[in-house]
Amino acid sequence: MTTSNPLRDPRDRRLPRIPDPCALVVFGVTGDLARKKLIPAVYDLGNRGLLPPGFVLLGFARRDWGDGDFEQLAKTAAKEHSRTEFRDDVWRRIADSVRFVPGSFDDDNAFDQLDSTLVELESSHGIAGNAAFYLSIPPAAFPQVLKQLDRTRMAANEERGGWRRVVVEKPFGHDLASSRDLNQLVDSVFTPNDVFRIDHYLGKETVQNLLALRFANTLFEPVWNSNYVDSVQITMAEDVGIEGRAAFYDSAGAARDVLQNHLLQLLALTAMEEPVSFDSESLRIEKRKVLRAISIPENKAAFTVRGQYEQGWLAGERVRGYLDEEGIPPQSRTESYAAVRLGVETRRWAGVPFYLRTGKRLPRRVTEIAVVFKRAPHLPFAKTDTAELGHNQLVVRVQPDEGITLRFGSKVPGSAMEVREVSMDFLYGASFTESSPEAYERLLLDVLVGDRTLFPDHNEVEASWQVIDPLEEFWATTTPERYRAGEWGPRAADDMLALEGRTWRRP
Amino acid sequence: MTTTLWDTNGGDIMKALSAERRAGGAVASGLAVTFVTIVDEKNIGEAERAATVAAQAHPCRLLMVIRRQIETTDRLDAEVQVGGRLGPIEAVVMRMYGRLTLHAESVVLPLLAPDAPVVTWWHGVPPDRIATDPLGVLADRRVTDCALAPDPKAALHTRAEDFAPGDTDLAWTRATPWRSLLASAFDATSAGARSAGVAAEEGNPTAALLAGWLTARLGVPTEVAVSSGPGITEVEVALVEDDEECTLRVSRPDGRVATLSRTGHPDRELPLLRRDLGDLLAEELRRLEVDEVYGEALAQSTGIADLGDRSPKRNHIWRDPTVAQVAG
Repeated sequence: MTTSNPLRDPRDRRLPRIPDPCALVVFGVTGDLARKKLIPAVYDLGNRGLLPPGFVLLGFARRDWGDGDFEQLAKTAAKEHSRTEFRDDVWRRIADSVRFVPGSFDDDNAFDQLDSTLVELESSHGIAGNAAFYLSIPPAAFPQVLKQLDRTRMAANEERGGWRRVVVEKPFGHDLASSRDLNQLVDSVFTPNDVFRIDHYLGKETVQNLLALRFANTLFEPVWNSNYVDSVQITMAEDVGIEGRAAFYDSAGAARDVLQNHLLQLLALTAMEEPVSFDSESLRIEKRKVLRAISIPENKAAFTVRGQYEQGWLAGERVRGYLDEEGIPPQSRTESYAAVRLGVETRRWAGVPFYLRTGKRLPRRVTEIAVVFKRAPHLPFAKTDTAELGHNQLVVRVQPDEGITLRFGSKVPGSAMEVREVSMDFLYGASFTESSPEAYERLLLDVLVGDRTLFPDHNEVEASWQVIDPLEEFWATTTPERYRAGEWGPRAADDMLALEGRTWRRP
Repeated sequence: MTTTLWDTNGGDIMKALSAERRAGGAVASGLAVTFVTIVDEKNIGEAERAATVAAQAHPCRLLMVIRRQIETTDRLDAEVQVGGRLGPIEAVVMRMYGRLTLHAESVVLPLLAPDAPVVTWWHGVPPDRIATDPLGVLADRRVTDCALAPDPKAALHTRAEDFAPGDTDLAWTRATPWRSLLASAFDATSAGARSAGVAAEEGNPTAALLAGWLTARLGVPTEVAVSSGPGITEVEVALVEDDEECTLRVSRPDGRVATLSRTGHPDRELPLLRRDLGDLLAEELRRLEVDEVYGEALAQSTGIADLGDRSPKRNHIWRDPTVAQVAG
């Protein structure tokens, strides 16, 4: 549609991408995600002038509410959590287009009403049949809502004279079989191209910058292979505990919650070959190739580690252990920490271990990708001169302090030759500060514009489960190691790297 | 955080700047751009505030040049700041007196961040020919503001005559929200345009550029009518859709909220705020490549053709105002 617009010109870089007139329908609008991320993101988009002239935010939840009550909730949410300054002027325009439909997911009438509301909005707000359905609900409720959307034909593009899209949050199933079922269901209700699976890590500026770093520069790609790279460490650490998600978390664990999606996606972006172009299809093809080439350790007892935190001290406060958390059964064997050594069986990466780890109640919240290079094959210095010199490293800091660090050896000033490691920092905040939008803001805009580049498709999700399933199978009979809250995971994880003469980087 | 240098020279400024940088630790590293600002003493507060806002989005090295009277002893005063009241930037505010005002580049050149692009902004009336100001010649991108000229329309014409790719004007930046809104309104229609009109305050250069852009893109004549403002108050495009005539109108009488109306569709209200100077500068610093679309709009609104074919490089032309005064 945009190609025929005479006012749009690819050279005109000032004009932002603005979606077609549309409705954003949020299921589970009273939940944490909707209040803390989605609604603020909608406000931020509005404030930046990125919402189309015809835009409706439609909430659906089991509350006895009118439009006004929902507007009040949305306003509070936007005020508290929006990234940009809250302006009443902007909110009033959005408030005009806030609607609420009360009902539960098994209530046929409520969905019929939702459908008729959307039809009404077509003429009153000019949304032309375009709608995105955001399922911000527990995975158990997915099938019910999808079936309702199917029954009312709300998901059918052609019949509605516009696009109909669906946004799904992780977890995408809990193993390969269940994710296949879910994918089949959602892909059949909507068409596969209209399904947007959100992995909010991919909306982060640094993750996209990883692609720019690798493929827009000549400097890094020549050494981005097993000739120069010793190992890769991908870490996602959280300082928080399970924070009221006990029921879900205890049934999933760290591997399903984080490893399966965020860490494997980061691995794929780090290890993939150059895509032929930057469109979503080419990118997905390359990511899929990497995910399929992942090899799982033969010796799972040595090269996979699970952990569970015990009580300890974190940031100056005493915190309770995993088993003492509210809602966790005292004999639970679910892991709150997982580390694994994976391989990528391609010519580029053969023999390079990829160490992935994630955990809760670790000393600080940090996500990073560290590419550790081999040591120089020959050092013309005396051994004592380079005693302090480790491996060169390139670290992509995903959060916080988004940026890139390069660690290399440098001479210590003085008359003796002594080489020590120094860091060279590129801080996103320092070169381009506030222009970085929130991940959800970016991804929501992508959904409404219809850009699928940053969304994994069902093939990637299934390939990821193929990595996780054998691990879960092995872990089913084991008990997680213990680690104190506030330390960097169980000792077994250190032993795992020590087996191959390596150590974890302290992020 | 701040070092003030009286009756100084470029070398001492360099030393003060690197001392401030070291003392500030990692306050300002990873500079993406050097931002040269040429401003009059009376506008310095406004320029500083705007630069601070822009620096939030684009940390830069800000070199602010204030040219004082030429008929006095040569002298340079400077204030060096790193991460102080001006936000996360390195700033050097320089006041130049006497013949030094004609050789400002001798102080500025060594202060440019290595290999980073240079943006020069005149907050005030820019020279008729940018080539006569060495601070404009050394810049990769030059930002003027016709709205500040005594006769904005004449200023726009001057800009077109003097144009080189890489020039841009804040009058054009002010048009972006309007253009964005109109473009998204056009996303939803396949109708062809018959004519267009813009209503704005008398002599509003943004209206002239917006009209030029509409004419260039839609290929139809665009009238500019006078209204009581503030700024641009209305844009109307007459359309033909399936042999039926209809109109697309965006009106903003209060400078805050726009109403988008289209024949056969309900009216929509949208925020369309007039942005402050800092936001405009932040937009200018976001993209540093040549703005070809601006060149086309400027050409269309002034009737001076083929602006985009000119060389982006200017050669400095020496002009001594004291000699010109004697001759004049």
